Amino acid sequence: MAQIQQSDIRNILLRKLSPQDFALLAPHLEPISTQLREDMVTANRPVAECYFPESGITSVVASHDGREIEIGLIGREGMVGAVPVLLGNDRTPHTSFTQMAGESLGIATPALLDAVGRSESLRLLLLRYVQTHVTQVGQTAFAQGALGLESRLARWLLMCHDRVDGDEILLTHEFLSTMLGVQRAGVTLALQNLEGAGRIRSRRKRIQILDRERLHALTNGAYGVPEAEYERLIGKA
Amino acid sequence: MARYFFNIRHKPGPDGVADDIDGDEIADIGQVREHALGVARDLIARTRLDSIANWFDCAFEITDEQGHPVMTVPFTDIVPDEKDDAPVGAE
Repeated sequence: MAQIQQSDIRNILLRKLSPQDFALLAPHLEPISTQLREDMVTANRPVAECYFPESGITSVVASHDGREIEIGLIGREGMVGAVPVLLGNDRTPHTSFTQMAGESLGIATPALLDAVGRSESLRLLLLRYVQTHVTQVGQTAFAQGALGLESRLARWLLMCHDRVDGDEILLTHEFLSTMLGVQRAGVTLALQNLEGAGRIRSRRKRIQILDRERLHALTNGAYGVPEAEYERLIGKA
Repeated sequence: MARYFFNIRHKPGPDGVADDIDGDEIADIGQVREHALGVARDLIARTRLDSIANWFDCAFEITDEQGHPVMTVPFTDIVPDEKDDAPVGAE
């Protein structure tokens, strides 16, 4: 199979690599399709493969006793498995699963670690991504504690919008209620409020983003901090 | 099993209802009210919405699959009725 060219890549981390660093990874990258609800990283199990999403969205969730709440999102700006693997571990208590199906480039964890061991600049760039992801998880905690549901929903929609092509996000109210850790009725009320103000259009299984600026204004700082860190540390997404 | 839709009335008027578009499967109609109260308790205890000043102003307007009204359950119903034989010291 022909080797993947860096110019054809949509994953932003891979695009930002120097040609030399990209060449270290390229022979090991394998295109895969991710399926809805499929575990990319399973809690407390060795991370055998890491993924650079080309499209689609992965949710990182904390769970206990059947309840799960989303603590982070990974799309084409990131790498699934980055936090445990780059910090020298082989597993994490947090599951990552596909929230929106798409394409991804997989790499066996030993091959990734070998490449990282050969190049300090590659290791540094991926660690900088880890920093932005940790920041994102921290802002999720801030949003959870400081904001009403409309604002948390607005943040979540903006984060998804950043990771999809176009203005439509496919999902059900049930899924949103699980991810945000609230009753579905709460999600329905919050969506109605955002829709009434003309910020979104909400349909049964999809939400269309109409006014990013006004969604952002609602988030009271919960959206934008990790995104700014990403731009500072890695570059424009 | 039948599907019931737990629409929330949060203010008067035609815009004052948030329609439940997915609904929930409930084994028999006797459990519909208890289900509504469980959701109401969880919303009151854990969820803050900027657009809802007081959860106790809200009510579930529950409909069946044909869209017919089944019952209305005000959120205030999570508080048990005061009884005449209230314990000593109760107002």
